[in-house]
Parts: sequence; C-alpha cells; structure tokens
Amino acid sequence: MSERPDTPGISTGGSENGWAAELRSRLARLRLDPAREAEIVEELSEHLDARYEELRAAGEQEEDARRQALEDLREPGALAGHMRSLRQARVPPPIAPGTPPTGFVLRDACQDLRYATRLIYKQPGFAAAAVLTLALGIGATSAIFSVVQAVMLHPLPYANPDRIVTIWETNRGGESRNVIAPANFVEWTERSRTLEHLGMVEGAGLVVLLDGHAIRTAGLRVSSGVFHAIGVLPALGRAYTPEEDGGDAVIVLTDQFWQRHLGGRQDVLGLTLSTADGPRTVVGVMPAGFTMLGQRADFLIPYGMTAADLRAYRGRGNSYAIARLRDDVSFEQAGAEMRGIFAQLEKEAPDRNATRTVMLFHPQEQMVGEVRPALRALMAAVALVLLIACVNVANLLLARSATREREVATRAALGAGRGRLIRQLLAESLVLAAAGGLAGLGVAALCHRGLLALVRDRIPVPRIDQAALDGSVVLFTLVTALAAGIVFGVVPAFVSTARPRDGLRDSGRHGGGQRLRRALSVLVVGEVALSLVLLTGAGLLMRGVLTLQRVDPGFRAEGVLTAVVSLPSARYELPAAERTLGELGARLAVLPGVEHVGGASCMPVPFPCIGTSFWRVDRPKPPDAQVPSSHVRPITPGYFRAMSIAHRAGRDFSAIDREDSPPVAIVSQELVRQQFPGEEPLGKRLRVNFNHANGRDDMEWTIVGVVGDTRSSLDGPVRQTIYVPRSQRPGTGLTFFLRTAGEGDSLGTSVMNVVRSIEPEAPVTLRPLEDWVGGTIARPRALSALVGAFALAALALAAIGVYGVMSYSVRARTQEIGLRLALGASAPGVGRLVLAQSLRLVGAGVLVGAAAAGALSRLLEQFLFGVDPLDPWTFALTPLALIAVAVVASYLPARRAMRMAPLDALRTS
Amino acid sequence: MLDRELKKGSAELIVLSILEARARHGYEISKLIEARSGGQVKFHIASLYPLLYRLEERGWVQGRWVEKAGQRRKRFYTLTPEGRRVLVRQRQTWKSFVQAMGLITGVDHV
Repeated sequence: MSERPDTPGISTGGSENGWAAELRSRLARLRLDPAREAEIVEELSEHLDARYEELRAAGEQEEDARRQALEDLREPGALAGHMRSLRQARVPPPIAPGTPPTGFVLRDACQDLRYATRLIYKQPGFAAAAVLTLALGIGATSAIFSVVQAVMLHPLPYANPDRIVTIWETNRGGESRNVIAPANFVEWTERSRTLEHLGMVEGAGLVVLLDGHAIRTAGLRVSSGVFHAIGVLPALGRAYTPEEDGGDAVIVLTDQFWQRHLGGRQDVLGLTLSTADGPRTVVGVMPAGFTMLGQRADFLIPYGMTAADLRAYRGRGNSYAIARLRDDVSFEQAGAEMRGIFAQLEKEAPDRNATRTVMLFHPQEQMVGEVRPALRALMAAVALVLLIACVNVANLLLARSATREREVATRAALGAGRGRLIRQLLAESLVLAAAGGLAGLGVAALCHRGLLALVRDRIPVPRIDQAALDGSVVLFTLVTALAAGIVFGVVPAFVSTARPRDGLRDSGRHGGGQRLRRALSVLVVGEVALSLVLLTGAGLLMRGVLTLQRVDPGFRAEGVLTAVVSLPSARYELPAAERTLGELGARLAVLPGVEHVGGASCMPVPFPCIGTSFWRVDRPKPPDAQVPSSHVRPITPGYFRAMSIAHRAGRDFSAIDREDSPPVAIVSQELVRQQFPGEEPLGKRLRVNFNHANGRDDMEWTIVGVVGDTRSSLDGPVRQTIYVPRSQRPGTGLTFFLRTAGEGDSLGTSVMNVVRSIEPEAPVTLRPLEDWVGGTIARPRALSALVGAFALAALALAAIGVYGVMSYSVRARTQEIGLRLALGASAPGVGRLVLAQSLRLVGAGVLVGAAAAGALSRLLEQFLFGVDPLDPWTFALTPLALIAVAVVASYLPARRAMRMAPLDALRTS
Repeated sequence: MLDRELKKGSAELIVLSILEARARHGYEISKLIEARSGGQVKFHIASLYPLLYRLEERGWVQGRWVEKAGQRRKRFYTLTPEGRRVLVRQRQTWKSFVQAMGLITGVDHV
C-alpha cells in the first residue's frame, strides 16, 4: 500500500489499520476470497480516511471525527447485508465449482482442478479405490504397449530400414516362407536391376576353443553383401569383402560375444580364434545390440563358397536372402522384377525351380508376422481390462454422485449452467485419472518386469529385450489416463447433472434414485459382460493349452536327460567320430541310474532333423508337386527304447547295420498309413532324397521296422518319419537320450565327466527332454497365462463393481427394507431380495457377455489347437464362475440388509 | 431526504449518471451525489460500495486501481459501453415514469 501523504495539522487518528480491523469484522461472514477482501478493505479504508479528514478539517475532535466516519458504515450487518447477493461473496469464490464462467477458461479450469483435488483429498477411501483400479488397468496396458512398441512399432536399427527387403522362395500359390536355392541367388545377384547388395543369411553353429574350453556358439553365415544391405558395418575393424566370401579364414564377432567371452579386450582385431573347424582371424566387431532381423548371434562368418560354388550347389540349403532397394525403386517393382527373373529360371532349371516362385518381404513383416496375432490378442485383452477399470470407476463416481445430488442441485440453483457442472465433474475424473496414470506407471514397471521374465528365453519374440518403459511409453500411459478419465467421467457427469434441481426437491437422502440406479445398473451389466468376454477368452486359451499338454508326442519325455555332444570336426573324420561317439554311448549306458541310452542326430522336438522328399521304389516317381516329404532322423540302436517310442513291427537297428551293409530304414505308422495303405511295408524299399554315408543320394532304403508316430511339436501335426541308422548317415555331433531311474539331477556331472575323459574339447549341453517338449508350447502357454491374469483382474474388478452397486442399492433402499422388516419380512427374505437383485444384474451381463464372447471367440481360433471356439464347457463354466463371484460380492451388502433394525432403518432420512 | 423506496429504485441511475462524464472514485461519487442533490440524497458506505460492486459484476462499470506519485492508490470507476447503453435506457424509463407521475398526480416536477 502506498504511503499516506502527511497532511499538516491533521492527525492520523483514523489510521487505516483501525478501519481495517473494523471493516474485516463486518466482511467476515461473507467469506470472500482473501485477496478480494483486502481490496475492499483498502478501498473502504480510503473512503473512511477521506471522510475523517474532512470532518477534522471542519473542526471535529479526533474521537468525534472517527465516530462519525464509522457511522457511515451503519449498523454492523449493513455492509454484509448489501453484499451478500454479490457473486464474489459466495463461499469460497476462487474455487467454487460451477461458478458461472469468469470469461477466463484457463482460470476456470484451474479452479475446477483445485476444487477437484480438494474433494478427492477429503475422501481417501473412494480415491484409493478409484486410483488403484485405474492404475491396474492403465499399468497393464502400458506394459503390453511397451512390448508392442519394441516389437512392432520401433523402426529397425538399420540404415533406411524401409529400403531393406528379404527374399524367400515358396511353392507356387503358397504363402509360407521357404529357403532359397543358392544357385538361384547367384542368378538374382547378376540379373536384378532393382536390388543391390544382395546377400544370403543362414544360421551356423561354431565350437570355439577358449582357454582350453570348448564353447558352443551360435551365429550366422552371411555373405559380404549383407553388411551393406542393412547398412550396418562393424563398430570395430571391418566387414569381410566379396573376395573373402569364398574362404573360411575370417570372422566378425558381435559385441555380445566380444564382451562375454573375450572380456572386451582391445587387441581383438587380428586375433586368431581356434574353432573346431579350424582357425579364424577376427577382422571386426559389430556394434552393441546388433541383431540380424531380431536374431541374436555370436558371430558372422562368410559362406565359404565362391559364386561358382554357389552356382554348382544342388538343392536348397538353409538360407534366405536380404537386399536393398535401389534408389527410386519401389518394393512392388522389385517384387515384379524378381518374379519375372524367377519365371526365366524356372524355364532354365526346371528340376530346381518347377512349381516354385519367389517372395519379397519387409523385414519388419518377416520378424513380427508370427507374433503379431498374439500381441494383438494381448492388446485386445488388456484394453478390455482398462475398459472394465473405467466402468468400475464410473460406477464409483456415480454411486458417490448420489450423495452429492444436493451439492449439484444447489450449484445449479445458484446459476451454474449444466456445461459448467459437467466440466467440474470431469475435472474430478481427470484428477483421478492423472493419479491413476502416475500409479499406473508403477504398475507398468512391475508388469513389464513380470512380462519379460515370463517371455524371455522361452518364446522367440524378436527385440523383446528392447522393450523398455521409455518416454513414449510414459507418454502413452498419460494419454491413456487422460482418455480413461474422459471415458469414465462422461457418463456420471451427464447422468448426475441431467436434472440437477431434482436434488433439492427430493428428500435429499440418496434420492435421485431411479435415474441414477438405472445408470449404475447399466454400467454393472456392461462390466460383467466385458469381464465374461475376457474370462471366456482366457478359458478357451487355457483349454487350448490343456489340450496341448495332453497331446501325446509319441514318446515319454519324463525322466529323459538329453546331452548334445559335438566333436571338433577339424580333428575327426566321420568314421572316427562315429567310433568315438559309440564308445561314449557305451560309457554313458553303464552310469548308475541310467536305464537306456540312445542317440540321434537331433532332438525329436522341435526340429524335423532332415526334411526331405521320398518315394516308393516299386512305383514310378510322382511328379514334383506330389512327391511326399518326411522327417528323416538318423538314430543309434536303443533310441526307441530310451525314448519309449512304441514298437509296431519288424526290428530295431543293431550292430549289424553298418556303413557298408545294405541301407535300412524304420518308418512311422503315419508313413505306412499314407504310403502303404493295406500293404505290408516290411521289406519294401524307399528312395530318400539325401546322401548316404557313402555320399550317394540314389540309395534304396529297405524298410525293416515300423514304430509309433511322434510329433516334433505338440501343436503341430504328425509327420511321416523315416529313421535311418547313424552308421549309414553319420556326423560329428550326436544327441544322447538317457532314460534314468529318477535321479536325473546328479547325473549331469557324471555325463560331463565321461565326455571330458574321452574328448575334452567337445562341448556338452545338458537339458531335460521335458524342457524341449514344453518349449514347443511356450507361446500358447504364455499367452494363456497373460490373458488369464488379465481375466482374473477383470473378475476382481467386476466383483468390486457388483459389491459397490449392491452396497449403494442397500443404502438407498434402507427405508424400504426397514418397512419390509417392520411389516414382518424375515431377515433371510431381505437377504434373498438383495441377492436376487444382484443376480438379475449379473444375469443380464452374462447374457450380453456370452453373446459377445460367442461372436468374438472366433478371432482366437488360431490359438485354440483343436478347441472349438464355442467350446460348451468354457461357455458353461465361465458364467458360473462369474455368478459365483457376484454372489460372494453381494454377500456383505445382503448381510447388512438382513441385520438392519427395522426402526432404525425407518428413521433414517 | 427522499423516500427510501424511491431512492433504492433510482440508485443505479444515479451512480451511472455520476460516472457519465468521467471516471471517479468512491468518495468522489458519494460527495458528488450529495452536492448535486443539494444534500437531499446521501449514499453511505454500506450501500454505495456494494452497489458499485454489483454494477461491476453486471459489466456496467469497471473499477481500476490508479496510482499517482506521492499518493495512495485509488479505485476509479468508469462506465463500460454496456453501462452507457443501460444509462440511456434507464434515463428514458425514468423520464417516462416522471411524466406519468406528473400526469397522474398533477405535480409538474418531482
């Protein structure tokens, strides 16, 4: 306040402080905004001062002048009385909800938010319930989003990733990716004008010797063009050159291998690594985090084939190609050109290319194609949880709005428009949503960790390890929270302001009654319906997994320990390797606790071992398109016993089946069913499109036995399978299967010791066979576990919703219940009344939900593995579970109703 | 002094008229009313300021703090365009009322 000018001869007896105290006491009961009150006090003090000085100038004594000036204020209540009808005098003005717009939208909004925060602060129980519910829904959504973002949305970490294509072959008219013929690859490289930097990629294993230990590593064979196709060069050193493509002298390590096995040593370039296949010189190290289209690798090595070698390569190998679109070439143009080239190749080399064609893919598509449906299903499930959470909070808000009807009505009566009231109520839901969003971030962090733990190392989801709660996830969370706030706030806001003045006319108890109760009921029905959709989905998925787990793989995995052993191929000729592995098998067989030992070139799951074509020798070879294919598994004698694969006919392999004895085969029942229907297969001969130990691919294999069918994955079909003796199709690696009497745990060390004693440089990988089998259904298991978790959350939310509404309903009907009790209704009868009401709501929700679930369940078909999307068990049991939960949730409100003392209830008003 | 009811009905018109020429502060307004009415009309603080605030809330006048060097700041009130329109209207009404009263009661001037 500015200085008061000193007027000579006039005392300051009427000092404004004196006025101020007097004025404040008169304004007190108006409860003005403090700032406004101060202004008014200042203005009136100034007036009183002027009057006082006037009186003094006219010769009045100090005391008289002061008294007369104050008389101007009249009786103590006058000022407040005149001001009471002013808007600024309303209580408390700055954060009064529903005050008519001040013209400043932002200021109004701030007021609304402050008021909302205060209200919520005053009701911690309600706020906690709402915020927790939201946090659950929002957090789960964000966690799933973090994965979706990493896997599907983030651009690949390559230079101009949208210019990269992958190239696969496929059967004409087919849609599945199939490996390419290296001979075709050379032609593409020379003929394509739309693609550049073509390169091939295939998986490769390498046993590396470090400090006397043999380490099994997994990497990739890639041609030198691949580095340029993806536009990623080694961070250290260099990529290998086209000239080095033909040799096997160099290796590029990945950062992960460099750090883990070489301790990140700086002198890595030029280092010579001893591998089982000979020495290799390290020429480069890829940047940290590098993956080949999501595939992790320890190293990159050349194919070891020159263009001439590739051209001469017969068959298809195990590769796909990768390339970069030339400038100004579209993906479609490149595809058209490649199909044209392939049509020429089909004419030039029909034996290789008949009935086949070529397909181009965007890398992202190739990477996420398989997991996308599952991720979509998860997004849908988690969105349902979020929706249910919103409905729940809407319910809470509505039930609470019942107790606030008078407040809303009073505001409306005082001139607040409906828009203003709605805005205020929305502000409250937004504050709740913001709190829910923040708490949701915490939930997201927890879910995120759980999700990665569940998925990582079990399901090959590309780039899932890059899923992180980064800025965009936080942004997503906050936007979700905002949207949620609007979604769950709108209905209560509109419902409770529909006819606000009713609130004053009503008895004012939980009055608004009808309209509100109807809205609450609709929400609960919706919530139950949504929950049922989710529960049904989870139920179907779980049934699918249970069905899968009951699938008989055709062998008994329990009690079987597997040991993958690779001899260093550089030091072993095949016959020597076979002898050593045979000796190893014999030593393992006598280990204590081992009942049977058998060996095979690969695991029965999930690999086909060798997938190739075959035909009956006694029939003409069918045309290419109709030639049957089978899995071919080279095994040692004893494999069937160790695996408990059923013997059907003929004999097992034995020591008499040697490399130089007649080629023999044991086939599966499925093969007999398809190739020898109604015939005796034993003694019949097959041509199989792969090389005998002698290097020839035109041997005739005589069938000497028939065994039961096996599956290479629990969710896959039974394939025709041909077993051949290892002696006639040898290798330097063998997987041993040890059936144990139970103590499989201690066995591992003994197995290691046996292998080390025979060949210290052979790496051994031990793992129970059950893990391998379980791995084939890890994906459906994880999906059903996640959806199941969401469904449980939904169930819990629905229970809370039902409980909340029934509690409200009992409270609102207190008088009615009291009357019934007074008129002789029994307490159990009242309880039944409450339960019946709850069941009516839940029943309606179940009907709606079942219809929706029936319509939506077809979307899950691909995850259900033989379970009918309308599986009657699931559709019967999930509603029962939901109803049971609803009954439990209604129990407390029902009990409260039963225990009411009639007189107290009647008096309530 | 004029009758209480009569004054109440005309209070708004009085204040708006006082402010027609230029902006004034509360004390000045009260002094002018007293002076122009020859001491017949007096607004005391308890009714003048609430009236000003009401006019302000209606958007007919606008209050503004004005500071002058060496003096304490004062709140000056000016007519808004809306206030000006209201003043014209109220004057018209008042005139008609006075004329009607004159015709009915045979009094020429109130």
